[in-house]
Amino acid sequence: MKKLLFILVTALVLSASALEKERRIYRTILTAIFPDKQIIHVWLDNPKKREIFEKIDRVKVVKNHKDADILILYKSFDIPTDDKIVFADGYLVFEHYKNKLVGGFYWQKGRPNLVFIKKNLKSHDIKLPESLREYIEDGM
Amino acid sequence: MKSIRRIYALLIATIIASILYLYNGVSTTHTKLIENLEKIFVLQAGQFAENIEEELKHHIDMNEDLYSYLKRRPTLRKELEHTLSALVTPSFKYVYVLYRDKRGKYRYLLDGSKEDKGLFDQKLDVDKEKWNRCYDTGRDQVLTQKDLEGLWITYLKPILYEGRVHGVIAIDFSTGLPATIAKATRPLENIFLYIFVAIGILLLILLYQTILNIRTKKESIIDPLTSTYNRNFLRDFLKSINPARYQIMMVDIDHFKKINDNFGHKAGDLILREVAEAIKKELREKDRVIRFGGEEFLIFLYREKQECSAAKIISNRLKESIEKRVFTYENMPIHITVSIGIASHPEHFKSVPDAIKHADEMLYIAKREGRNKIVFDKNQSSARVDEKRTIGEVKEALEDGRIVCHYQPIIDLTSGKTVKYEALVRMVDKEGQIVSPYFFLESIAYTNIYTDLTKQVLQIVFQQIKTNRIPISINLNLSDILDNMIYMIILDEIKENLELAEWLIIELLENEHHATIDILKERLLELKSYGVKIAIDDFGSGFSNFSIFQDLPIDILKIDGSLIKDVDNSKIAYSITESITLFAKKLEIETVAEFIHSEEILRIVKSLGIENGQGFHLGKPAETISLDKTPIKQASEISA
Repeated sequence: MKKLLFILVTALVLSASALEKERRIYRTILTAIFPDKQIIHVWLDNPKKREIFEKIDRVKVVKNHKDADILILYKSFDIPTDDKIVFADGYLVFEHYKNKLVGGFYWQKGRPNLVFIKKNLKSHDIKLPESLREYIEDGM
Repeated sequence: MKSIRRIYALLIATIIASILYLYNGVSTTHTKLIENLEKIFVLQAGQFAENIEEELKHHIDMNEDLYSYLKRRPTLRKELEHTLSALVTPSFKYVYVLYRDKRGKYRYLLDGSKEDKGLFDQKLDVDKEKWNRCYDTGRDQVLTQKDLEGLWITYLKPILYEGRVHGVIAIDFSTGLPATIAKATRPLENIFLYIFVAIGILLLILLYQTILNIRTKKESIIDPLTSTYNRNFLRDFLKSINPARYQIMMVDIDHFKKINDNFGHKAGDLILREVAEAIKKELREKDRVIRFGGEEFLIFLYREKQECSAAKIISNRLKESIEKRVFTYENMPIHITVSIGIASHPEHFKSVPDAIKHADEMLYIAKREGRNKIVFDKNQSSARVDEKRTIGEVKEALEDGRIVCHYQPIIDLTSGKTVKYEALVRMVDKEGQIVSPYFFLESIAYTNIYTDLTKQVLQIVFQQIKTNRIPISINLNLSDILDNMIYMIILDEIKENLELAEWLIIELLENEHHATIDILKERLLELKSYGVKIAIDDFGSGFSNFSIFQDLPIDILKIDGSLIKDVDNSKIAYSITESITLFAKKLEIETVAEFIHSEEILRIVKSLGIENGQGFHLGKPAETISLDKTPIKQASEISA
């Protein structure tokens, strides 16, 4: 019983720590993409991630992707993206939408990975702050 | 007792220290075991990395740029990744090769991982600072990181060729060793946990017991009714006190029995509580009050210096405050007074209990002298205190025949002849010094020694009567007649000397009221039936009461010396003496004037018609009776 409690508490602390880390990264990403926007409307295809976004300042999670300023895709491969800003939340989606999305965030080998695609940033006229420029990839 | 406590404390401390030492030993062993086993895994990872480096160098032309070489050869990449994947186990989860591009980013060259696989040239965000250290120094690095799954170790090995690093072989592994070892050592650690819990519980029980003991001890030394200390406390207190630091006060509530009789025991309890409160109110922090007996309180008054007025001030304040106060029980006012006896220098006594006894004796005097009094021994020198004789000394004197009588003549004031004697008891101490009854009677009061003394005095007096055939009086208290034992002794002695009894006079001292007047009368009549005469002593002072003549068969009235000595210069003394004499004449009771110490007194006394007289002017007490001697005052001289 004691051991189970210990594992549960450790898992909760560590998962809280991973969620918080991810929230900080997304806060930086969204602030960088929409530096002047009062409210950033976000649409997600992964309901489990709502918790992360709902607690970010200036962010509002919307139900309809058409109302969104940015689509954050984790598992959808057939969403009509139109001219929306798209951001990947997993490596597979990142690969699939490589030509459309402005960037992606995913975990690989236990490490958080962040990538911005230069040409797509340019097409949306997004200028990233200095701190994020090292994550911009040219040749994708 | 203290040393036993110290041994216990040392024993407990040693046990706790030993357990802590063992616990620390187990924890250290646990940590070292993990470290050593992980070292083995790291060593193994290092050997894998070395083999991989050799394999790569075997297949790749290292003279060419590694990235360019592999980019052009996807088949070779596939083969090499397949080779790398052979090393992948549940522990060695990821085996991959990265290179650092021109912008300092790390990208995949090969990835043998079976899951989470990176693609060729795909960026991997790593801890650049540590990875750069491997790249820049050309040395192997071991990195640790924690994530949800536990502790991960990354082994980095640079691919070195001609002094330049071409890439980094990375092996991520998680041994799961801490969990495995923790699982193995958990029972051992649990034992310590249980021991700590047990010790904690024991300490709590010990603490509870200690609190309980303190509470019980406190209850055992506190009188529940008055919340003052009791005799249990006194017993311990006496062991530790320095008598030079205290003055002793014995306080007794006057006529307490009457309160119980008239108002009930609840009222008595209330009075005891409130008097105790009043006492405590007058005391200081270092003073101690003990309920010594039923209505008796023993007080230790702290003093810094040997000469101290605390007892005087506090006793006066206490006496006055209680006297002025009106106690109320069920709306009924109750007035009480207290008597106080004080031993102001307990250090002058052999022991503190002796000093307490002295304070008690002072209290007894205060009671005898009319109550609501303080008897303070401050004027008594220690030498005088020492003169007080113990029961043991009196007993020894009785056994050794050192109890004697001195005889003071009583003169017929008309004829000037000695008509009788008053026997005055004396003790001869071992040094041959004559000791007055003041110094030994109090200590034997209400004891068997007093009874024995009475018997011996009667025997001595009867012997003198037998020899001299002259009336001799002895002094007794009314309470002696009421005391069955003493009364039986008197009767026995009279019966043994039946033919001499008519010369015996019993002088009774009335020092307290007696409710049992009928028994007294009955007994005095019985004594008189043997020819014994009854005199009332010291009449005119203290508890003198004219009604006594109505109740008791009195033959002789001895007018108190305190009146006679002032009869020449006090109108009141003169008038009282005159009234008493007239009263006695009316009742045909013989009169004796005591304390005739001058010619003038003798003249006045005679003029008042008092029949007999005694005093230093007429004759001092002497060891023997000498009838052949000339009377101390000739009849003619007295007449003159």
